[in-house]
Amino acid sequence: MKIFWAFARQVFHGNAIYRFEFWMRLFWVYMLMYGVYWVWKTLYTQTPGAFGISLEQMVTYALLGMILDIVLDVGPEWYIANQVRTGAIDTDLMKPLDFHFHMLARSAGEMLFGLGILALPACAIGYFLFDLQPPGDAITSLLFATSVILSFFVFFHIGFLLGTLTVITLDIRSIAWAYYALISFFSGQIVPLWLFPDLLRKISNFLPFQAIYYIPISIYIKTLNGREALQALALQVFWAIILVFVSRWSWSRVHTRLTVQGG
Amino acid sequence: MNGVQLYFRLIHISLLSRMQYQANFIVGILGLLFWNVINLGLIGVLVTQFTSLKDWTLWEVVFLYSLWIFGYSLYGVFFSHTSELENYLIEGTFDQFLLRPASPLIQLLGREFQLNELANVFIGLTGISLAYTRLDLHWDGWKWGFFIASVVSGGIIVLAINLLIACTGFWTGRSRGTSFIVSQFYYLVQQYPIDIFGMGFRLIVTGLLPVAFMNYYPALFLLDKVNHASPSWWLSYISPLVAFLLVGIVSVVWQLALIRYSSSGS
Repeated sequence: MKIFWAFARQVFHGNAIYRFEFWMRLFWVYMLMYGVYWVWKTLYTQTPGAFGISLEQMVTYALLGMILDIVLDVGPEWYIANQVRTGAIDTDLMKPLDFHFHMLARSAGEMLFGLGILALPACAIGYFLFDLQPPGDAITSLLFATSVILSFFVFFHIGFLLGTLTVITLDIRSIAWAYYALISFFSGQIVPLWLFPDLLRKISNFLPFQAIYYIPISIYIKTLNGREALQALALQVFWAIILVFVSRWSWSRVHTRLTVQGG
Repeated sequence: MNGVQLYFRLIHISLLSRMQYQANFIVGILGLLFWNVINLGLIGVLVTQFTSLKDWTLWEVVFLYSLWIFGYSLYGVFFSHTSELENYLIEGTFDQFLLRPASPLIQLLGREFQLNELANVFIGLTGISLAYTRLDLHWDGWKWGFFIASVVSGGIIVLAINLLIACTGFWTGRSRGTSFIVSQFYYLVQQYPIDIFGMGFRLIVTGLLPVAFMNYYPALFLLDKVNHASPSWWLSYISPLVAFLLVGIVSVVWQLALIRYSSSGS
């Protein structure tokens, strides 16, 4: 565990020195929030009854989708792809440390940076400029926090799997577009899953992506509460466990056929 | 050899080197197609669920999106190497363009021909044709002419804005941050009719970063949505003029930038 925190801390500090990057990312989130705020507001003013929930809840859902993005999208796939491309992956493999564990620690560092440094100002912007609702009560907050941690776990492993794939394809940029599109669609990050047509909703129910954004945010705005919230958490745990096994198994398979470039 | 010939010669060379990576090319194209289909899918879900976005129906939004991407694809295919200018400046490798007896701009632009971006041409064409039939449009010759002019203007507008931003690198050293922020404006204008946003945003994308002239304003005219009672009705007709003005500005800035350039050494 000590090693875990050492790596996480290192990444945290590595991020913290880029001040310009900080303002840029904050502005980026601001623009994203600005966009979704107006879209939902326009749709709501047009047909108030169509959502089944209040405008405040809807806007909060959309804003959280954007804020959580900076916390959860830690992108281990980019790190792996970059190391594979430059050949520096051998230094990672030489470390007397499990690779999957190492990546998890790095990503946790990224997440903590997003959470501690970026998410707070982003929430403040959301609250003061775009009617972001504060969390309802203690239990909801607790469920939400648990759910976010599980989301991180699920998202990290999906990214890790993609990274594993780049060991074979040697390139990530061409796949990245499709990957991000897939995530933002089926995770309910932009449009909540209950607004999907039946067929798409059924498909998304069978995919792990809903565990990333849809579940934590729905818990936050209380469209999932009580028993349903607990079931949703259980579903996240289920996906997390499956993905841990699949990730470790694929990495062990791919590890043996790794070609190191350059050097 | 004149500039245009030289440009196509360079493009030809870069194309040959690109075709060395065929698998990557195919995956890249599929990825971009998929990304656009999903993007449109999301807007589609919203607009069909709520029948319209303000007074824009589903197919009108598709038209808006496709018009933008069609114009952008012209930039993407031919001129996307603009965004690499920063790297040349930082590494001091921009010198090579100045040493050869040809226009530095043409050498820079001719470096890369992005075949992957052909996916966007395809998306643009498909989206516009579908919208055209679904909306039951019947354009006369003038409108077709204006449509083509708008698409070309769109490509020029992106090129000019991106080149201007890249040029700031001559003074500040870095330009990536600015282009990152500008891409957010692109994204919003591409996807949604700008009249759903606040006044500040609309002023920015009309005056400061005139990306709304790539799709929103010409679409108002092409889809017969111009409100002649509004004081800004004429904006729908001036996209080519905006493109023309931007080219003027960017050529002056580019000349100034070349004078200003001092190599980073190495």
